Order: sequence, then structure tokens, then C-alpha cells
Amino acid sequence: MSAVRKMSGGRKSRAARLGKTFLLRLGFYFLLCALSFIFLYPFITMIVKSLMTDDDLYNITVKWLPSQATWSNYDIAFRRMRFRAYVWNNVIVCGAATLGHTLSCSLTGYAFARYRFRLKNVLFMLVILMMIVPVQVIIFPLYKQYSDWGWLNSFLPLIAPTFFGMGLNGGFFIFLFRQFFMGLPYEMEEAARVDGCGPLRTYARIMLPMAQAPLLVCGVLSLVWHWNDYFEPGVYITAPAYRMLPSVLPNLYALLNQENHTMIQVNELEGIVFNEAMLMAATFLCILPILVAYLFLQRRFMEGVERSGLTGM
Amino acid sequence: MQGRDASGTRKRKKKMGIDRKRSLEAYLFLIPWLIGICVFFAFPIFTSIRLSFSKITSFKGLLTEWVGLKNYEYIFFYDINFIPTFLQVVYDTLLNTPLCMVFSLVIAILINRKMVGRGFFRTAFFIPVLLGSGYIMKQLLGMGVDGTTITTGIMVPKLISDLLGVSITTVVQGFLDRITVVLWKSGVQIVLFLAGLQGISGPLYEAARVDGATEWEMFWKITLPMITPIILMNIVYTIVAFFTDGTNPMVDYIYKMNFTNQMYENAAAMSWIYFLFALVLCLICILLMRRHMYDSGSKN
Repeated sequence: MSAVRKMSGGRKSRAARLGKTFLLRLGFYFLLCALSFIFLYPFITMIVKSLMTDDDLYNITVKWLPSQATWSNYDIAFRRMRFRAYVWNNVIVCGAATLGHTLSCSLTGYAFARYRFRLKNVLFMLVILMMIVPVQVIIFPLYKQYSDWGWLNSFLPLIAPTFFGMGLNGGFFIFLFRQFFMGLPYEMEEAARVDGCGPLRTYARIMLPMAQAPLLVCGVLSLVWHWNDYFEPGVYITAPAYRMLPSVLPNLYALLNQENHTMIQVNELEGIVFNEAMLMAATFLCILPILVAYLFLQRRFMEGVERSGLTGM
Repeated sequence: MQGRDASGTRKRKKKMGIDRKRSLEAYLFLIPWLIGICVFFAFPIFTSIRLSFSKITSFKGLLTEWVGLKNYEYIFFYDINFIPTFLQVVYDTLLNTPLCMVFSLVIAILINRKMVGRGFFRTAFFIPVLLGSGYIMKQLLGMGVDGTTITTGIMVPKLISDLLGVSITTVVQGFLDRITVVLWKSGVQIVLFLAGLQGISGPLYEAARVDGATEWEMFWKITLPMITPIILMNIVYTIVAFFTDGTNPMVDYIYKMNFTNQMYENAAAMSWIYFLFALVLCLICILLMRRHMYDSGSKN
């Protein structure tokens, strides 16, 4: 009798516990969904707005679902921002800069992780300083330097520094590689050394193939940051032929703001009023290539982050 | 006797040789970076420091004349925009950095669990990074057809705002806006925290659970102490990211000073003040955190 009661009591408490964990679970997912909604909000707004017609834009009852989706906005934005011409500029610069960062930063990070040499601490302080000094501080001397060398209005100021471990967030990448290489065991290298493998070959054949995780992380971040950067390209590049996609956008925004004042100003392209929907379409087109690339790399990128050994500072 | 002495010196010489050889190898690896840091970093920095203390007399070859602290005097006492803009940035940084840390850590802990749709959530939290720290984000934050910003999408509900009155609602709305903006800028931080959380070994938690520790206790006693290095790195990263961000009014102002007003000397002085603040902030954080830093037993 008492045993039965005990059993039923146990079952009851178990059911209660199950209910509690279920509720916790529910709350947990609700919280996550709410948070991810906030994160996706600008993205969703951008896509929704880009599909709206002129009427929908000014109709305050239409907030989320356009009454009829129009793809023509994309067509207009595509032509207005000369997407096909500029996207290649972006691809060239970002590709080259990413390559430069992965090559030079892994080399430098390896030296800092594995060797003992004079001035090592001083030089490493410089790496930290590279991370902290914003480019805005040295933008004018850099500009002057590049203009003396005749590098303005070319891709060189954006690409060349990355091959020397500098450039956009170069210090961060060096740090990343240093952390990773510090966590690797010495045995492989020593074995290679004993077998008569030179330092550069040891690095290229033994160490680099093991460093896939940080290489991927560095590659993805460098690509994304270069793709979205508009400060440096905006300073060094003024010739239309060398424009990059994000620096085309300000012109479009300016166009829109102008229209806000005069309300109707006909676009020189086939007499269409340039509206916010087209602007959003242009913005979305701007990040579309990088978005597609990221979706392909997403899983491996996350794994790479987890394995790049940032924990053992 | 002589022979032993000779062999001893030879040995020492050889050892020194190996050390020197290793050192040379290290510099071999460092060559590209050393060139880079001289050409693209150290030299511009010296030019910038020199500019901030002088006046340009000729653009050809950038000839300058020493004027002492005059440029600094100008930006502090004559420039009416500098101090308000600077204070705004200081205020924003001091408020946003802790908020960013707390939120990104919480989110990282949430998505570190095993659950349904983990891949989706991880992508979702990284989307703002793809949208860019750049112009796109800047415009999305600050524009709209009728002048509304995109942040006002998350509004205080009408019912609550009626109950609380205008002034409180404004404060709450401001706070909500700030959180939204901070959240959008914390993609990289979340990823870094996630990496840190993955690095904590599972048996540690298991042992704690066996001893009857609750999740809450485990967070304060295990998770937090173990990820202090990542927290420090994230703080430095966040401060720098906020400082160089395109939405930052000070960055805009320095840019304008340089390329619109062409007052390069004042811009240089301004950017040094600006940078020194970031540096001091980072150093304070490093010094404060150093005492509580978890040491992984330094294998190296």
C-alpha cells in the first residue's frame, strides 16, 4: 500500500518535473526566437521593402506583406547601380585581399607562436597596437603616401597592405593565427626537422595543412569585412571605373534624399521615380554575393571558430 | 685539458649558432610583416604625430613647421563641435560596451546548447555581420521614407506608453533602440564567446553536477572564470569596433575635417586625442581583468 503510494507520488513528481522542463524549454525557444527576430529584423525589412510597389510604400497599412510583390525593383536597381561592372571590382579586391591576409597573417602568427627571438615582446606589442589604432588616425598620412606613389584610383592601396599583414584588421588575424599555432603540439615539426626539412617547407607542408580552421575563419572574416568596407575605398578611390559596390550606395541614398525634398524627380534612367523599394533592392543586391558565399561556408566557418583555439590565451 | 676547453667553447659556439639560426629563421618569417608595419603603420603614425604638433607649409613633400600644442589648443578651445561629439562618443562607448558583452555572452550560452535548429540560430545571429559594419547598416539605422529609423520597428506598445506617460516611454524607447543597435553589432563577439565556451572541457561540468551544483552556480564558478581571456579580447575588440565604426559621429567629423575642411593638422590632433581615449580604456580593462584572469597553466 505504502509502496504504491510512494510509486504514484514518484510518478507525479516526475510528471511535474517533466512539465517544468517542458515549460523551461518552451520559454527558452521563445527567447531565442525573439532574439533572432531582432537580429533578422533589418534583413527582413530590407527584403520586404524591396518587393513593394510605390503604392505599398506610402500605404501605412502595408507593413509586412506587400499587396503584390514586384521584381522590377531589382531590375531597376541592378541597372542603376551598374551592378555587373562594379561587382567585379569587389570580387577582385576582396579575393586578392583575402588571399593576402591568409598568407601573410598565418606566416607572421606562426613566427610569433613558435620562435623565440630578440625584440619578440616589443614586436608583439606592435601587433596589439595594430589592433587598437583605428585607421582613421593615420588615414591622411596614408592618403598622402599613396598619392605620392600614384596609387590613388587603383586597387593597390586596398590590396597591397594585406600581403604585408596589414590592412583591415590585420592585427586581429595575426593574433588569431598565433593563438592557434601556440596550441599545436611540437612533435610533428620536430620530426620534420630531424628528417632535414627546412623551416619554410616545414611551415608550408606540415603546419599550414593543419591550420585549416583558422585559415577558414580568417578567410571568411576578411572577405566579409572587405566586402562591406566603404571607408578606405571611399578615401582612395574617386574614379567611377574603380568604384566598389558599397561606395555606390551613398550616391543612391543621396538621390533618394533629393527626391524627398522635391517629391517627384524623374530618374535619368527611363523616367522612373527612384523610390525606397529600389534602394532596398540595391542594398540587398550589394550583400547578396557575400550572403550566398556565407551560406555555403556557414557550417565549416562555425566549426573553424570552435577549433581555432582562441580559448588558450 | 686544452682539448676539453676547446670542445667546450665549440659547444657553446654551436649552441649560440643554433639560437642565432632560429632567430634568423623567425625574422625570415617576419620579413613581409616587418616591411608592412614600417611602411603602412609606423611611418604614417610618425607623420600623423608630427602633423598634430605642426603646421603644413608645403604639400610637396609635406614640409611642416613646429607649432607646439597649437592644434590641440584649437580643437579644445576654438572648435565648438569637437568636445560635444567626443563626449557623445565616450558616453556611447561606456554604455554600449558592457551591454554588448552581457548580451553576446547570454546569446552565446543560449545557442551553445544542443537543440533543434541550432544551425539556423547561429546563422541568424551572424547575419548583422554580413549586413555590414559599413554603409548599409549605417543607412538602415538612420533612414526611412518618412524619417523613421528602422530601429523604431521595436516600439513600446501603445497601451504601456499610455500608462507610463511620455517621459518614461521616451527613456524606455531610447534604451530599446540602444539595445537593438548593440545587438546588431555583436555578431563577431557572439562567435568569439561561442568559441570560448566550446573550449571549456565537459568533465568539469559533469564533476560539478555530481557535486550538486546548479546551472546558476556553474555559470558563476566555471563558465565565467574560464572565459575571462575571451572576455578581455572581446572588450578590446568591441571598444575598437565602436571607435572605428561608420555610424560613429567622431569618425565622420575627423573625415570631414580631413577631406572637406582640409584642416589636416587639426584632424591629426583630434584623432590622437580620440585614439588615446580608446587606448586608456583598453589598458584600464586589461589591468582590471588581469587580476581575475584564468591561467590555463601556460604550456608554453
